[in-house]
Amino acid sequence: MSTIFERGLALPTVKIAASERRMMLSFLVWGFLALMMGAAIGPLQALNYGGINAYPYLRPLLQTYYQGLTIHGVLNAYIFTFFVGCGLLVYLPARELGLSPNMTLWRLCFGMMAAGTLMLLYAMFDNSSSVLWTFYPPLKGSPFFYLGMALVVFGSLLPLPIVLDLRARWKARRPCELTPLVTYMSTATMLMWLLAAGGAGTELIVQLIPWALGLTNTVDPMIGRTLFWWTGHPIVYFWLMPAYISWYALLPKQAGGKLVSDPMARLTFALLLVFSLPVGSHHQYVDPGISPIWKGILAALTLSVALPSLITAFTLGLSLEYAGRLRGGRGWIGWFTALPWRDPSVAAQVLAMLTFIFGGAGGIVLGSWQLDNIIHNTTWIPGHFHITVGTATAMTFMGVAFWMIPHLTGRQLPSRRLALASVWLWFVGMSLFSLGMHWSGLLGVPRRAWVSQLPHSTYERVYGSAHLPLTLVAIGGIILWLATIAFYIVFVGSLLGRRLSAPVPIPFAQTFGGRESYAIGADKPSGGEPASITPHPHLSPLAKMLEHLGVLTLITAVATLAAYIPILWPLVTNMTAAHGWKVW
Amino acid sequence: MSDITAQSEFEDAFHQAAERHERVWVFIAMLLLSLLLIGTLFFVVLDYGVVVKTDGYQTNPAAAATTAPFAGTALVRTGPNAYSVHMLAHMWAWTPSPLHVPQGAAITFYVTSADVLHGFQVPGTTINVTAVPGIIGSVTYTFEHAGTYNIICNEYCGIGHQNMIGRIIVDPERRL
Repeated sequence: MSTIFERGLALPTVKIAASERRMMLSFLVWGFLALMMGAAIGPLQALNYGGINAYPYLRPLLQTYYQGLTIHGVLNAYIFTFFVGCGLLVYLPARELGLSPNMTLWRLCFGMMAAGTLMLLYAMFDNSSSVLWTFYPPLKGSPFFYLGMALVVFGSLLPLPIVLDLRARWKARRPCELTPLVTYMSTATMLMWLLAAGGAGTELIVQLIPWALGLTNTVDPMIGRTLFWWTGHPIVYFWLMPAYISWYALLPKQAGGKLVSDPMARLTFALLLVFSLPVGSHHQYVDPGISPIWKGILAALTLSVALPSLITAFTLGLSLEYAGRLRGGRGWIGWFTALPWRDPSVAAQVLAMLTFIFGGAGGIVLGSWQLDNIIHNTTWIPGHFHITVGTATAMTFMGVAFWMIPHLTGRQLPSRRLALASVWLWFVGMSLFSLGMHWSGLLGVPRRAWVSQLPHSTYERVYGSAHLPLTLVAIGGIILWLATIAFYIVFVGSLLGRRLSAPVPIPFAQTFGGRESYAIGADKPSGGEPASITPHPHLSPLAKMLEHLGVLTLITAVATLAAYIPILWPLVTNMTAAHGWKVW
Repeated sequence: MSDITAQSEFEDAFHQAAERHERVWVFIAMLLLSLLLIGTLFFVVLDYGVVVKTDGYQTNPAAAATTAPFAGTALVRTGPNAYSVHMLAHMWAWTPSPLHVPQGAAITFYVTSADVLHGFQVPGTTINVTAVPGIIGSVTYTFEHAGTYNIICNEYCGIGHQNMIGRIIVDPERRL
């Protein structure tokens, strides 16, 4: 039997592996360049809330707060996350399975998203499209903005056929076996994203692009907004699930332990696939045009989507505890302090997880319909997503970069201490920023408002009660500037740094219960890649059931249509013809 | 060798405890979420007035600025202790503003927009309605305390978004 495996699963040649590494590096570098620009602008917005208006000094580069905010949101939320995600979701499964991905499709994915990014940058920097990252019509940006956005969205779907092809090739040679964990999680993520992208994809192709090109005169704002949130909620899982892959499948190894439950990891991803789709309109609790009955159903579905994250908190907490105890940690807290905190990659990801506990809790508040009334569209919202995507995802990707760039380039980090400093500064800065944003949101300060442009007396009269939290926001922003500078010194340094003597392997973790994770055969002397994959001695019934990703996708698709047809129906039968506005 | 045995014994024990606790945790998580759902829906029903209702559609949103019921609008008495007002959001102001309302009366706000999306929020209350061009939404709220409240636009609506601050003045109840 083993001979069949060895013949069937021959490793890709060294040359192919090198081109895969280069491609992965391109995705990482492009993504982190976007974050660099986005993060450089971010603190200006924090200063705005602190009452400091820096924009008059930034002309002609940036005209207004709203232009800066559009660039910040689009680059950080879409470009950074999509590039890093579309790299990892192909590279990690390919390395786990020991198969070579379809490079043509992967290059096309990069090319489409890169072209889209350039179009977006053009449309944003000439101030023709300061529509923010939600681009709600009837605010009307330039056609380059919407075309660029469409290229990025459709390009980001291409890892799906790549990872399906990898999985099919592996399964053809290993019938009756479960998909290895990283591949399973990557496939579930991409299937989720395929269904999710349908909303914004439709909005862009059917509504916004023809309208921006002048082929249609008017647009229906509420249909656009609803289609946007069809994508806009599950997109948070497209940001989060690649980070979860690192937490489940890599971090336990980096921390010196194992993943305590492989079936639970699969269950989490399957639940995220199903529940993240039909809940998008909970971003519209305060919108007219949607029946209160549907809002109640959405509240129930939204709280359901917290379940996989609560399972994650347990499984990952326990995996870290196991690692900490193996390292000699004792008592209630000892295992936590015993984790390898000197490793910047581990520190980044554990701090990211810690922050995400608060992010998740805030998410449950937002999902609770009546509480959302108080904080909807206040600074609470950006406060929330800066500790979820802005810390849980961003800091995990930073942590991944700390091992992955040495892995890809064979060069070492220029300074472990500076890397650690960047991570702690990000954690502290984001915590202060976010505390201030949540707090001022409770006091009614609206999100995305150029409040520092107001006459001082008006600012004092309307937002004076939020002085302390808004000062925290500004201080957090300044600390984040320091974090960004420290991080990019390390990042650029590791692209140009000294050569390592030994290659850095991918830290695929083992799981409890024998050989349940497949990707462990890192016993190949050179390269550290998984060489042989051990057959599975015991199949968990749960994992076996969850193997049917096609069925899960079908259920999700039906649930999504069942949620959206009733929501969209009254809007489609009562269409509004709104003209576009360019008012910035 | 004994180290390895000790480690694998530790792993086995840890694994067994983990599986037991895992089930308990999943049960607790589901219970917690169910209670939260019951709690939030209870308060939604209890305070149903501030749940956004749909009160009509218009094909041409710009018409709201020039035609009834939003043009020339004022506070209208609709019952013994109930009033309504049609609140129009437009770049970058609220009409009518300032708006005087009596303390302790149920005020129904009908909200729409004449141009782009706006957000009708009154900090210090639970009023929060998206002002959508072409759709009229409504909420009902009773101001229990007299004083001045701000209306703040909380949906980005262009360069003057931050200036879109209106006022509601709650006049003290006159005891006869």
